[in-house]
Amino acid sequence: MAVKIQVTRPTKMELARLKRRHKLAARIQKIVKDRLSLLVMEFLQTVQECAAVREQLQSEFDQAYRAFCVAWGYHGKVPLEKEMSLAEMPFTVSAGTRNVAGVKLPFFDIEKGEASAARVQNRLDGSSVLDQSIERSKKCLETIVHLTELQNSLDLLGTEINKVKRINNALEFIVIPALDVTIRYLNMKFEERDREETARLKYVKQLLEKKEAIAY
Amino acid sequence: MEEFRAINAHIPRRRKSLAELLNEEEPKIACGDGSEHFFRKKELALLAGMLEEEEREELLLPILIEVSSEGGGYTVPSPRGIEAKLLSKVLDMEMSWSMNKVVIFRPHLFLLRRVLKTCTQYVFTP
Repeated sequence: MAVKIQVTRPTKMELARLKRRHKLAARIQKIVKDRLSLLVMEFLQTVQECAAVREQLQSEFDQAYRAFCVAWGYHGKVPLEKEMSLAEMPFTVSAGTRNVAGVKLPFFDIEKGEASAARVQNRLDGSSVLDQSIERSKKCLETIVHLTELQNSLDLLGTEINKVKRINNALEFIVIPALDVTIRYLNMKFEERDREETARLKYVKQLLEKKEAIAY
Repeated sequence: MEEFRAINAHIPRRRKSLAELLNEEEPKIACGDGSEHFFRKKELALLAGMLEEEEREELLLPILIEVSSEGGGYTVPSPRGIEAKLLSKVLDMEMSWSMNKVVIFRPHLFLLRRVLKTCTQYVFTP
């Protein structure tokens, strides 16, 4: 049930002001609704992508784990740990923001660099099994960074959708109906005033006619 | 118009050409609300692969997607038709270019935003 807006003075000026407010509120609601639909679309897209990246990460972890197991069996624990601690992965991560319909979302761009030549040449006790396990773990890192970005975006988009939804609901179910009710109330008040005025004029006319009749 | 100005606070102050962004170490632009919008280098490389040398100079990024509050459609302004060419390639279908703009629909928008996340931005128009 919509609440009636308190009108201090039921005047035509007040009615015009309320009509202006109603028009503005309807316009804003339309924009908010458009924005909400876009944000929901982005959210669903991110959810889909997030699920796909999660699956990819799962399979990459699986492959990396298998490769480690093989390397462990081939080299033993100590040489494997030594190699892993020395394995380098030069990379740079650019962190920033990207804007989606007014929502600032995190942005990570990972760029792989080249391993130093000295490091590659110094590996005497390496093997293809070890290389494979290192390569797989590097791949996992890229996917983790991507997943982090998506997961954060999902949180932020969800929060923003809730906010926009609340604004939309407030406009749709409180502000606009309340303005409607008040405008209707004022219109009825003015009509009533007109009717009273007409009745009063008729009564005065009758009185004047009676007076004239008595005079003659 | 005040409400549109508020909701479009995120649009860039000045758009940069693709060629300019390709030369930057960290490709980014300043937004109207003071924040920064970064471009993914992979997306820029993808766009560069689709265009000729002179078109890279002319294409301004981010590509704006106009969301009209009246018509309910989405349009991409394309003064020289480069955006239309790009959309045709990204969406893998012929896009009609008339009156300096390309009209796209919701399924197109979904596909476009999936491929060009950082190279496109929404603008709300009256």
